[in-house]
Amino acid sequence: MTATTAITVEGLERAFDEVLAVRGVDIAVGEGEIYGFLGPNGAGKTTTVRMLTTLLLPTGGRATVAGHDVVAEARQVRASIGVALQEAALDPLMTGRELIRLQATLQGLPGAEGRRRADDLLERVDLADAADRRVGTYSGGMQRRLDLAAALVHEPRVLFLDEPTTGLDPVSRKTIWEEVRALNDDGTTVFLTTQYLEEADQLADNVGIIDSGRIVAEGTPAALKAELGSPHIRLQLEQGSIAEAEEICRRIGPLLPPVDAKTVLVEVEHGAADIPRVVRALDEASIAVGSLELVHPSLDDVFVAKTGHHLEHDEDGSDEEAVPA
Amino acid sequence: MSHLALNLRVIRALGLRSIRQTFRRPQLMAPIVVFPTILLAIQTGGAGGAVELPGFPPVQSFLQFMLAGAMMQSLMLAGNSGGIALAVDIEMGFTDRLFAAPISRYAIVLGRLAGTAALGLFASLWFFAIGLAFGAEIAGGVPGALLAIALVTVTAAAVGGIGAAIALRTGSASVVQGLFPLVLVVLFLSSAFFPVGLMIEPAKTIAEYNPFSFIVEGVREPIVSGVDATDTAEALLAIAGIVVLGLALSARALRHRLRVG
Amino acid sequence: MEAAALPAWRTNLATIGALMSRAKNELLRVPGAAIPGVLAPTIFFLGLNGVFGALTQLKGFETGAYESFIVPVSMLQGAGFTGAAAGVNMARDIEQGWLDRLLVSPAPRWVLLAGTVLAASARALIPATFVLAIALLLGAGWPGVDGLLVTFFMVAAMAAVAACWGSMLALRFKSQSAAPLMQAGMMALILSTTAYAPLALLQGWLETVARVNPVTQVIEAARQGFVGGVTWGGTWPGIAALLGLLLVFGALALREMRRTGA
Repeated sequence: MTATTAITVEGLERAFDEVLAVRGVDIAVGEGEIYGFLGPNGAGKTTTVRMLTTLLLPTGGRATVAGHDVVAEARQVRASIGVALQEAALDPLMTGRELIRLQATLQGLPGAEGRRRADDLLERVDLADAADRRVGTYSGGMQRRLDLAAALVHEPRVLFLDEPTTGLDPVSRKTIWEEVRALNDDGTTVFLTTQYLEEADQLADNVGIIDSGRIVAEGTPAALKAELGSPHIRLQLEQGSIAEAEEICRRIGPLLPPVDAKTVLVEVEHGAADIPRVVRALDEASIAVGSLELVHPSLDDVFVAKTGHHLEHDEDGSDEEAVPA
Repeated sequence: MSHLALNLRVIRALGLRSIRQTFRRPQLMAPIVVFPTILLAIQTGGAGGAVELPGFPPVQSFLQFMLAGAMMQSLMLAGNSGGIALAVDIEMGFTDRLFAAPISRYAIVLGRLAGTAALGLFASLWFFAIGLAFGAEIAGGVPGALLAIALVTVTAAAVGGIGAAIALRTGSASVVQGLFPLVLVVLFLSSAFFPVGLMIEPAKTIAEYNPFSFIVEGVREPIVSGVDATDTAEALLAIAGIVVLGLALSARALRHRLRVG
Repeated sequence: MEAAALPAWRTNLATIGALMSRAKNELLRVPGAAIPGVLAPTIFFLGLNGVFGALTQLKGFETGAYESFIVPVSMLQGAGFTGAAAGVNMARDIEQGWLDRLLVSPAPRWVLLAGTVLAASARALIPATFVLAIALLLGAGWPGVDGLLVTFFMVAAMAAVAACWGSMLALRFKSQSAAPLMQAGMMALILSTTAYAPLALLQGWLETVARVNPVTQVIEAARQGFVGGVTWGGTWPGIAALLGLLLVFGALALREMRRTGA
């Protein structure tokens, strides 16, 4: 099993005083996979990642990364992983180049080799021009790219990315995504924690959802969404009787609870292929449709189904309901 | 209600806040009392032989002599820390809230000083306790002790005024914090740790004219020999001078801050 | 994919060197960063000299010049201050997540500690030199080359002890608010010795403590050149004391570093 599994987690637990932050987590990540780890703040994501990256000792269970036990063979684990943590652990007084070179030294690379790789990586993440400026002058996006480059200097087998695009603008986010895909194409296993459903949806081969310290769902994004059922059509009527529209739609597929008096929601087994049927049937009954939308279940729907609340609030993670004191 | 009554209420409220802040965070309070205590212990043990020196004033023990200096050190640190607290308030924007209210600007500063004075009071009580525990006698008895405590408390507020002025002028906690070495310098160049007559030049001359030396003597006399009108008067005069200086600097700093915003 | 083709000792040395190199950035890239470290011991030196200088009149004082007597104390105080400041820096690194970067790398824990400690040792030479220069200007006796070497060695080693102490507290409390404890601890250790006066003139509790405090040996060894001549007999107790302190505080600091994440 360890030959093809990059990360194995069995019953992993972590208690802080009386509180169990992680309550028995089981995960298996295959070699060359991108694993998306989803969960709201406080769910235990960061705690789990810190245990897998040997920064925190588990209080129960076990885990192996790149074939090494995270407790007994911590050093070997550290030699095989690259880590870009949530708080980009950078020194504002160093230049970008100095930082990557330091990382190379920490990883045990010979001087000349380390310098060469540093230069290559700075090119790759588009920081070559800023390489000799102090990190304190970098923008948020630049700091993340530098953090990512530093994590790659020793060509790790497994890469841990903890919320790599939180707080970045869409362009920077896309850049990081492309880089992650490229790395994965080269064979690097990526363990990605994120608050963004789109990120998990776009990048991950497999997704694990954690809430209150437990894995509540696991699988490919498609499989998780399919679990929730088929997509549905959301119809808003411009003219005509709702009751009649509902009657017609009921013949095509089961109705979902309406959201208001002018909307009909009907589940459609064949997705977009069912749209012409619906439209024709309503047209024959002289019912005018104002708008029609095909709605696929999203990972947020999966999340809500499994945990009872939404994953995302605002883009910047702030709570929309907060009122100024 | 009348203007005066409102201001007094504000001073009381801010004063209580500043006192609560001070005593709720022991890790901030500790250096103010702990450092001088350590230094007191070490200097008493290390330089205690000085009482044998010709020209050393008649004292029961070196500890008895040093108590005033330790209290002085504490109150200076308290003044510095009060300035830091005010600077933090400014950085956080809390003072903006106060400035926008219909209260006297001075009420804001006076409220802060209440906390500093409370720390001074605590320090004087603390060192009296230590002194008594280790066998020092208070020559002036209870009245002497009360006088010393009163002088320390008022001086703490006076020094706090200077700290507040610096905080208002710079608005930066780290600048106020950086002035801590200055506290040490002023203390060394006074009679806090040694009789002025036995100090080495040029420290000796500076200490002779240092207003803090007068305050130290005002606090020391009731402990080592008894209440003396002249020493007390000189101390009060020196305190008054510092108060005036603090007020003047604060006034200027307040005007600057309200102009600059 | 395994990385190094280098033998472990070379990697470790390179890592220590890289960490020391980073430590110097604060001095070179932050204007005025060196000032507090130099100012504190200098003020103490000038202050103590001006205030307690008359103590040399007491019978039992080896020298008439108080400057000569206390300059090694101020130099060692500077070492204590510098080492404690290294602890504060580590606490800041912990708060800002920088230490995680070091902890996640395969570098051994002792190597990470050594980087901090050796950087502090080197840095302590700056205030020590400054205080010495001021003292010499004020008339302190020239300690001779042997005296100088012994004193600077003691300073560097004392800074290492202080850095271990500071690092231990930083790793234990993970916060810069432990800074006063770092500074006060070293101040108490260094001054509860024959710092102010010879052993015979110390009073009460301080006499007892100074007798058993290993730093007394350090001060006496560092003081040799300034008050008399350097002998092996006067030097080895200081070296032994420093080795002992380094072992104890180093072990404690290493233990804390290994326990982060427990």
